[in-house]
Amino acid sequence: MGNTLLEALNVRVEGSGQKFLVLAHGFGTDQSVWKGILPSFTPYYRVILYDLVCAGSVNPDYFDFRRYTTLDSYVDDLINILDALKVDRCAYVGHSFSAMIGILASIRRPELFTKLILIGASPRFLNDKDYHGGFERGEIEKVLYAMEANYNAWVQGFAPLAVGADVPDAVREFSRTLFNMRPDITLFVSRSIFNSDLRGVLGLVKVSCCIFQTTRDVSVPTSVATYLRDHLGGRNTVETLDTEGHLPHLSAPGLLATKLRRALSR
Amino acid sequence: MPTPVSAARQCLTEEAARALEDAVAVARRRSHAQTTSLHAVSALLALPSSTLREACARTRTGAYSPRLQFRALELSVGVSLDRLPSSSKALDEPPVSNSLMAAIKRSQANQRRHPESFHLHHQIVHGQQQTTSLLKVELKHFILSILDDPIVSRVLGEAGFRSCDLKLAIIHPPVSRFSRTRFPPVFLCNLTDSDPGRRSFSLEVSGDENSKRIGQVLLKKSGKNPLLVGVCANDALRSFTECINKGKGSALPSELAGLCVINAEKEISGFVNGVVSEDKMGSKFKELGNAVEQSSGPGIIVNFGDLKELIEDGASGDAVGFVVSQLTRLLVLNCEKLWLMGAAGTYETYLKLLGRFPSIEKDWDLHPLPITSMPLKSGLMGSFVPFGGFFSTTSDFQRPFSRINQSFTRCKLCTENYEQEAAVVRKGGSTISVVDQCSEIVPWLRMAELDTGKRVDVAKAKDDPATLNGNILGLQKKWNDICQRLHQAQPKLDISRASSQVPSTQGFHYAANGKEGSSKDSSTSENQYASPSPCMPTELQKVFPLEQNIQLPVASEAESCNFKFSTYSIPHKNLPPNCTSSSSVTSVTTDLGLGTLYASRSSEPDSPELSAHKECLQHISGSISTRVDAVRESTLHQIAYSSSSSGPNMGGRSDLRDFKLLWRFLGDKVCWQDDAICSISKAISRCRSGNGRHCGSSLRGDIWLTFLGPDKVGKKRIASALAEIAFGTRESLISVDLGFQEWVHKPNSIFEQQELECSDTEFRGKTIVDYIAGELRKKPHSVVFLQNVDKANNLVQRSLSQAIRLGKFADSYGREISISNMIFVVTSMITKHNRTSLSSKELVEFPEERILKAKGYQMQILTEYAAGDASISNGMNVRVTPQKGVSNPSSVNKRKLTETCDSLTQDETFEMQKRVQMSRSYLDLNLPVDDLSENVDNGDSDSDSIRTNTEAWLEEFLEQVTEKVVFKPFNFDAHAGKILKDISLQFQRTFGSDAMLEIDYEVMVQLLAAAWLSDRSKAVEEWVEQVLCRSFAEARQKYNLSARSVMKLVTCEGCFVEGKPPGMCLPARINLK
Repeated sequence: MGNTLLEALNVRVEGSGQKFLVLAHGFGTDQSVWKGILPSFTPYYRVILYDLVCAGSVNPDYFDFRRYTTLDSYVDDLINILDALKVDRCAYVGHSFSAMIGILASIRRPELFTKLILIGASPRFLNDKDYHGGFERGEIEKVLYAMEANYNAWVQGFAPLAVGADVPDAVREFSRTLFNMRPDITLFVSRSIFNSDLRGVLGLVKVSCCIFQTTRDVSVPTSVATYLRDHLGGRNTVETLDTEGHLPHLSAPGLLATKLRRALSR
Repeated sequence: MPTPVSAARQCLTEEAARALEDAVAVARRRSHAQTTSLHAVSALLALPSSTLREACARTRTGAYSPRLQFRALELSVGVSLDRLPSSSKALDEPPVSNSLMAAIKRSQANQRRHPESFHLHHQIVHGQQQTTSLLKVELKHFILSILDDPIVSRVLGEAGFRSCDLKLAIIHPPVSRFSRTRFPPVFLCNLTDSDPGRRSFSLEVSGDENSKRIGQVLLKKSGKNPLLVGVCANDALRSFTECINKGKGSALPSELAGLCVINAEKEISGFVNGVVSEDKMGSKFKELGNAVEQSSGPGIIVNFGDLKELIEDGASGDAVGFVVSQLTRLLVLNCEKLWLMGAAGTYETYLKLLGRFPSIEKDWDLHPLPITSMPLKSGLMGSFVPFGGFFSTTSDFQRPFSRINQSFTRCKLCTENYEQEAAVVRKGGSTISVVDQCSEIVPWLRMAELDTGKRVDVAKAKDDPATLNGNILGLQKKWNDICQRLHQAQPKLDISRASSQVPSTQGFHYAANGKEGSSKDSSTSENQYASPSPCMPTELQKVFPLEQNIQLPVASEAESCNFKFSTYSIPHKNLPPNCTSSSSVTSVTTDLGLGTLYASRSSEPDSPELSAHKECLQHISGSISTRVDAVRESTLHQIAYSSSSSGPNMGGRSDLRDFKLLWRFLGDKVCWQDDAICSISKAISRCRSGNGRHCGSSLRGDIWLTFLGPDKVGKKRIASALAEIAFGTRESLISVDLGFQEWVHKPNSIFEQQELECSDTEFRGKTIVDYIAGELRKKPHSVVFLQNVDKANNLVQRSLSQAIRLGKFADSYGREISISNMIFVVTSMITKHNRTSLSSKELVEFPEERILKAKGYQMQILTEYAAGDASISNGMNVRVTPQKGVSNPSSVNKRKLTETCDSLTQDETFEMQKRVQMSRSYLDLNLPVDDLSENVDNGDSDSDSIRTNTEAWLEEFLEQVTEKVVFKPFNFDAHAGKILKDISLQFQRTFGSDAMLEIDYEVMVQLLAAAWLSDRSKAVEEWVEQVLCRSFAEARQKYNLSARSVMKLVTCEGCFVEGKPPGMCLPARINLK
């Protein structure tokens, strides 16, 4: 059965350099989302790209509805990939969902990561009594219902909202990758994302993290970035990007690349 | 006129002839009238190891799996073949079509040009004396020329392949590169049975991931006692203990089957809060000890509950200590058979406990296990049933799955069993299947049982067709699995292959939808995964063919332009083949020569198929026509220049060969850069009169200039003057600051207002390269002005290197734009030879960096009594106050702190240091202060490597430019002296020679900025005469002046110029107090 994990998740290693850099995409996108960023890093890093198992570019049959109920299974995948590539140290850039995965992976294998860069990250999307995650449970139910009722319409509405900034190209690209996902998988994954709560475990992270936050993000309020900074166990910084939206790598790739390079070289 | 196959075969080598024969066979099978290139491609792809297939594998675009992309390719070839007309009568050997024959002829010609690789076959026939020299085409060249066929390249493009890439791959042998196969293969956890994750899962009933992980921890040698950490940890703990104590022991790994949990949490929390007595607590521990000794299985888990109880304020310290020591003792006594287990809501809770009992992690052998989600059955996951009830109609979605089962053949026995069960499910009865009966024996059967997943829902399923369907699908899958394992040792079926066997029309349907950019019904989104076409991104489909179209003609030589255009524009019309009459081809060609493309387009017959693509066509034709114009004009230009006759169609542009004209024109615009202008003019006139860049033997039309050194404004002004004189209007200047990302946005800066037209809104969502490429496409005739080329990122560096070498600018997608006839001007503050002299320059009162920070302040005149002995120095009663921050610190108020920082750091060319220094003074709380120095070191080492990289590139790049022009600094100090003299004159005229005027440094900076920026050389003098002079007069009337009073001309902090005369950044009037 020649199907390796590396092939199934379309793992690619690009660029030349000593150090490894993982670019992990978030929910609703696939590795192509990094294409604006990638050329800035290939001369200096060996960049590892892969698709999450829920991405549209992965054969949906690999998505096991019993296995991928919690984030841990995604963490397994990430760590297996890194082990298969014989990576012993790497810097990790994770967007949104992958930021959560990176946090958990660094708890499990702290020696593997030199630095985490978390873009649009949130430990918990739902509000709590002294935590503002940005969503009320009722709202989420509505969103999930809308997703279930008419996926198409939901994507059309959600994509511009998530991209935030007025960048038609980015909206088109995000809609494309969202559409590529099988709707039931999208729904399932968003349920498991909203169901996750990383707040209690943030202290277990010992790797230094850099939190990238755009000025306005529909999914992640700015207070969350501060929360992450205060609760993550390592040495943390918050970097504010002078752009809007949840997907700065699509809407402002140049800006993000510059900031990322600075953050990585710190 | 088709050629008989036998005639065509004579031109080919044996290998190539076999390929042709295969193609003929394809055509015969489909009973087509002719054998075309498409048939050849289809035949080549069908071979498992053909050159074409191998080339495709090497050039495929990374993001999609090779299997999918091949599928897509086969699909689009199939679709295109389907649309060919079939002949009425079946031909034994469908003759070779014109286009394929043309391809053969092309490859012959091509081979002739490469004599080292062709085989001349001298056919010497006995008895006949003449020697016919006939060239036999090799397979490689045959394939290469087939790829040139427009239909083929369109089909390839639809599957995300570019035929030019393929050609390269065929020509160049494969190179070994970093390959993933170097590593041992790792199997995806849910695909293999050898994987531990799967194994443990197969033993579960509840499917609770958290329990699974707890089980894994329990199995470990050290750190075997799980401490669940996380907001949901308590829920997970509860569900785990319940699960075990209810006898569902299978939540545990098999080695630990029979393990039981004893809850001590109530006693412990009661005890530490003083509710439960110590005796009772002691007896509980004794009971625990006995339980461990008596247990027959692998042992017991003691659940000590939530750690919060132990660290809360209410908890008595002694009691907690007792609990901890007792548990430690228990563990030491029975380390083989005892596990501890607990939960902590947050890591901080655990940390507090660690603070109190530092050795507890070791003593208790704890393993903090992050728990990030609720157990499956609660929360949002609750209602979710995969597939079930998800779609309004099941028909669309059923298709791929039913196909799976068709392509996989179960053995007879299993099929019978499956059908039996399926019938039961349909009836809605409960199923007691063979699997259930034998599930006790073979553990994996139970797992297969899980696959159905929904047997509980059977009753519900009766009402819900979707769920029912899901059940049946599940059953199918189950029996497939069983059959596979029991009866056939063959590997797991390849589902995706099966699923892509959806009727090809459907796949195409989607592709068509995508092309029109609208997918309105929800069925489309389902199609998306049902068919393999999502691997062809919609955008690619739209863009790729179009881009190929543009590249090729531009790249080709002038005379072949027209021909290529005509052939390449046809496929985009998506005409059905019967509409592609040769007449339309010729008409386009002719019209191209005349330069009126639109007319012919609109006069084409408007068939229904055509109108469907109208929108798309218009879009394309628009871009084509501009391209055509560009090519035509550049051709004409080149012809005009090389034959050194003046071009009659040059419009309002001046002849750039005239050095004097150029020199005079530029000199008018920027009077202070004589030397630079002289060398610029020389370079341009030299290039334009035929001594310019050469690319091979042909003259290149692009000119590359580098402006080095200071004087930002002068450079920009010269660039826009060049645009004006070369292309008729200033609008044909494309100005991009490559260092723009390092800008710190300063509101109201004079210079930023000037740069407003290239504000970052246009860069949004694009890389700089794409922005430049877009502008180049919009304005094919322009001066491209790239500032701060030393700050260019890699992408830009690469594109620029390529552009200067090959005359084509590539964007980040690899699409190329011809830059012939453009003038590229790149600037850099760094001059190659005196890089050091910039930073260690002699003391200048008004350095350029300071002037660039000028802001458009409102100004005002104040009056003050002179404090000290304000004597008139060097004959002038006007003087400039020293620069702030250098002057006495007492006058620096809080507000000016930022200004101070600015001026202190302004000379730092090392922007890294600058940033750190800034962050120090601005108190960036994000950076831990004590680590700053270390950070700087790290950063330097890394950014140094980046910098040296850039320097090396810059050096190499600058070697290739047409002309390097070094600019002199604008002499601000001299200008300042002149302005002061003017002001002094005016001031004396109003107030007499005794009065004193102090001019703020900031005002001076603003005046100098205005002088630098203004188009007219006398602008500032005029302002002094008009505005300042009037204000002096007003001030004299208003203020009561004594002999010792000193006038002050200062800026109003925070108040910016509004009503200013056009083209000026100085206020139209000055405030008085």
